[in-house]
Amino acid sequence: MRRDRRLIGLAVAAALLLCAVDARSQGVTTASGRERELLAVLRSETPESEKAITCKLLAIHGSAAAVGDLAALLGNERLSSWARIALEAIPGPEADAALRTATESLAGLELVGVINSIGVRSDAAAVGLLEKRLADADAGVAAAAAAALGRIGTPEAAAILSRALAAGVPDRDAVAQACVVAAERLLAADKQAEAVALANAVWVAEVSEQRRAEGARFAILARGEEGIPMLVELLRSPAKRLFNMGLFTAREVGVQGRPDAALAEAVDLALVREVVAAPATPPAAERAMLVIDALAERNKAGAGKAVQSAILDAAAAGAKPVRLAAIRALGGVGDAAVVPRLLAIAADPDPECATAARDAIGVLPGDAVDREITTRLATADAKALPTLVGLVGDRRIAVVTEIIPLVDHADAGVRLAAIAALGSIVDLPNLDVLVKKAAAPRDETEAVAATAALREAAVRMADRDACAEKIAASATGARQTVLLDLLGDVGGTRALAAVNAAAKSGDEAIQDTATRLLGKWMTADAAPVLLELATTDAAGTFRGRCFKGYVRIARQFVLPDDERAGMCRKALAATQDPAARKSVIEILVRYPSAATLAVAKEAVAMQDVEAEAKAAVASIEAKLAKPAG
Amino acid sequence: MQASSSRMRRRAFLGRGLATGAAAAVAPVVIPSSALGLDGVVPPSERIRVGGIGIGRRGEYDLGCFLQQPDVQFTAICDVKEGRRSAVKGIVDKHHGTADCRMYRNHRELLDQADIDAVLIATGPNWHGLMAMLAAKAGKDIYCEKPCTKNIAESLMLRDTMRRCGTVFQAGTQRRNLPHFAFACELARTGRLGPVKRIYAHPAGMRAATSGWLPEDPTPDPAVADWDMYLGPAAWRPFHAKTLGDGFNFEKGGGLVGGGVLEWGSHCVDLCQWAVDDCPPPVDYAPPVDGQLVCRYADGTELVFREKGWIPLGSCPVRFEGETGWVEAGDSGKIVLSSPELMAGRKVEEIGGYPATFHVRDFLDCVKTRGKPKGNADAACNAHIACHAANIALFLGRPVKLDTGSWRFVNDDEANRLRSEALREPWRL
Repeated sequence: MRRDRRLIGLAVAAALLLCAVDARSQGVTTASGRERELLAVLRSETPESEKAITCKLLAIHGSAAAVGDLAALLGNERLSSWARIALEAIPGPEADAALRTATESLAGLELVGVINSIGVRSDAAAVGLLEKRLADADAGVAAAAAAALGRIGTPEAAAILSRALAAGVPDRDAVAQACVVAAERLLAADKQAEAVALANAVWVAEVSEQRRAEGARFAILARGEEGIPMLVELLRSPAKRLFNMGLFTAREVGVQGRPDAALAEAVDLALVREVVAAPATPPAAERAMLVIDALAERNKAGAGKAVQSAILDAAAAGAKPVRLAAIRALGGVGDAAVVPRLLAIAADPDPECATAARDAIGVLPGDAVDREITTRLATADAKALPTLVGLVGDRRIAVVTEIIPLVDHADAGVRLAAIAALGSIVDLPNLDVLVKKAAAPRDETEAVAATAALREAAVRMADRDACAEKIAASATGARQTVLLDLLGDVGGTRALAAVNAAAKSGDEAIQDTATRLLGKWMTADAAPVLLELATTDAAGTFRGRCFKGYVRIARQFVLPDDERAGMCRKALAATQDPAARKSVIEILVRYPSAATLAVAKEAVAMQDVEAEAKAAVASIEAKLAKPAG
Repeated sequence: MQASSSRMRRRAFLGRGLATGAAAAVAPVVIPSSALGLDGVVPPSERIRVGGIGIGRRGEYDLGCFLQQPDVQFTAICDVKEGRRSAVKGIVDKHHGTADCRMYRNHRELLDQADIDAVLIATGPNWHGLMAMLAAKAGKDIYCEKPCTKNIAESLMLRDTMRRCGTVFQAGTQRRNLPHFAFACELARTGRLGPVKRIYAHPAGMRAATSGWLPEDPTPDPAVADWDMYLGPAAWRPFHAKTLGDGFNFEKGGGLVGGGVLEWGSHCVDLCQWAVDDCPPPVDYAPPVDGQLVCRYADGTELVFREKGWIPLGSCPVRFEGETGWVEAGDSGKIVLSSPELMAGRKVEEIGGYPATFHVRDFLDCVKTRGKPKGNADAACNAHIACHAANIALFLGRPVKLDTGSWRFVNDDEANRLRSEALREPWRL
């Protein structure tokens, strides 16, 4: 078998080479200099590996002049794929003709490959030969021919595919697949009627459910409003695959590709009807839930009243999964008008529904929603307040003065909600309210809430130093480590000074927290602080940690060459530990520059790292000697 | 259940956090875990049946993420290497407490199984795009490792095939489901940085070259290692043990090897694309100057591949600069901002590294709803095209201009010839 294929290949090569020689002798094409060099390789006795790469280069530099030599390789089972890389890429009719000619003498895999390339090149002149190949005894060849006809996608190719689909060729699924591809081509060429007819033919054909679903999707999208009944048919199909395609298509029609407001509204209404008509029992209820999800995604920019109303009804009562889907959908498609009903659901005895409702209000767009919440806040009782206060925080409604008194409310739920809300909305002048709560909470629950709220507030303050000042002033006593942690999150000059001071305190627990924070400080101004601690910590407990923190800045941060080199010089002088010194020398190698080279040369004098320093000097010099770029 | 509910909190918060103001961010609708059957033991009939194709080292990590999900039944493994087939079967059977995981050498047999709903594709990059398209045509939903495609034409084909087949496709760009990256992208996308001017991606090595053909080793028994199937769509070359062990050596078939621009860019550029609302990719691409490969979108925004100059925030850093602010994020889970005020709305936890659990969960939820996962095919297509076009500029050593309507390079025959590449017979897209 393999020998037969090689013989066929040799015959093809000979025939195509003759064609090529003939073409060249007639002066049809002229190779460029680069191309001539590559062709010389192909015609030489060089190993196949070189010829393979040459084919790839001819894909870039080849012209019609190279077609003959490349086509001669189409029967070579080792080089055929390489030759087609070039033949698919070289523009012009010569490559098309060569591929068509090759189909006359090739068989098996090489023939499949050539037909595939004809498809990629969308060679309309090959339609006739491909039609014949649809009936090829080799199923692989027939399937390739169908796929190629689909990619060509002319009316003639589509007609052939349509006939083959109706006639019942052995691999009808492959033909159906090609029909949908051809339908796309036809639609792109403004042949809507032909495209829809082809897709409809797939929808009704005796092919796999997957192919039918693809035909239906295309027909729905191509037919506009006339496609809606087919969409509904899919959504009502007992077949999961068809229902799934309905859901997928429901997310597209009218809103993706070329949005069409009128079509989108018509589809929305059809989907709403499906939701309304769905029984509240499985599996219809689960399907309704999924349709609601699709409706919400279609209306991300806001829904019309009919859609809102249908989803509100579904949110208010019925099967819980459907309710939850509808409530969450409202967050995406609703507006201020849905707030009252969502607030009512937020008081629902079912906690999942209640939470979902609050989340939904939290993401509703528009200032009118904020006004509705603020208005209700003034008259709400202790039962309603936690939800409303929570929404103030969620939506970051700037009503700080209204919330502050609530942090001392008699009801714990209100207090905690108010503390959390302040985390989202409090401003610098009022930050003390949270600082005090974090420094002196009334119980553990409040401590957790206040710490989280203060962290959220503190890290967004524009004036970090002023913020740090307020926190540092209270960073004493039992809550000192917690507040120091917060200073680490805030960062800035004042926070650094406060943490530095804590690192020098006599309390080992406080020192531990402070040096840990300094070790992961996010700005390079922590470097001198760390170096000082690494060399002056009397007890020596945290020297190693501080040294590593200093080296981390030298290694990881974006720094000018001189500054980084200077840090390394100081680090080398600050430690006698060979391992620590080696870690510094690694930094010098990582950032080669004249400045780091100088430091490396100095380090050669350090006996314990002399070898490493010499290696670093050699490495840096080598890198510096390389031309830039 | 925990993964799902915590994800819900983060998503809901991200939505809320940025909801104020005119350009409200809409929280995605997430079907509740109870409805999805995640609130306890999920009956077998309700589980998503997943098959794995090419589960190597990275795939094994993904597999672990899938197996953590209570509504997943891993049913089959396909691998051209016998050792991997057996190893994965062992992991899966141990997890499920059965001996049911089926093994296949040929992916066509796995894709023919009617009882498989979705596939995890973690082959070498050479196979990713084609395998995804074959799986889609077989009616499977797909979680596909990145890089998902080998060239521009394949990127477009991938996008079109997923649409045509109604496939839920998730590229393995898991950072889209990590809260700090999501927050950084949201800041850029919703205008809180001002009009975005420049976005940065880390390529981790910029090179582009044609792949090689190593000397021939004795070809192993296909039952042990099926070299022909391993080569798949890549242009033919003889068996070589090193190539079998490293799919990256010929990720581009006979053509360009993507290097860091594609391998790492398919993560970082993907995030950059998200920051500009997944708009069409840049139109202008220039080869690197001083370590920076600069691309330009149609509106003038710049996408910059750069190796150095990053704040130390871990691997896969990205940076988005607007007229009024900037944000930088990396795999440490941390973000750094031009102004603390930009933190408003961020309550998300910091998750270091790049866990794919949330990304897998996102995929599985969408398998049930038919919604679009974060790493959907449209988004992946645009991000990959940006990487491929950048690689072409790198390979040619000169600027190229891409028309994002026709998806052809403008007046540039050489560049256009690199848009696609023939597949080895019998494979086709």
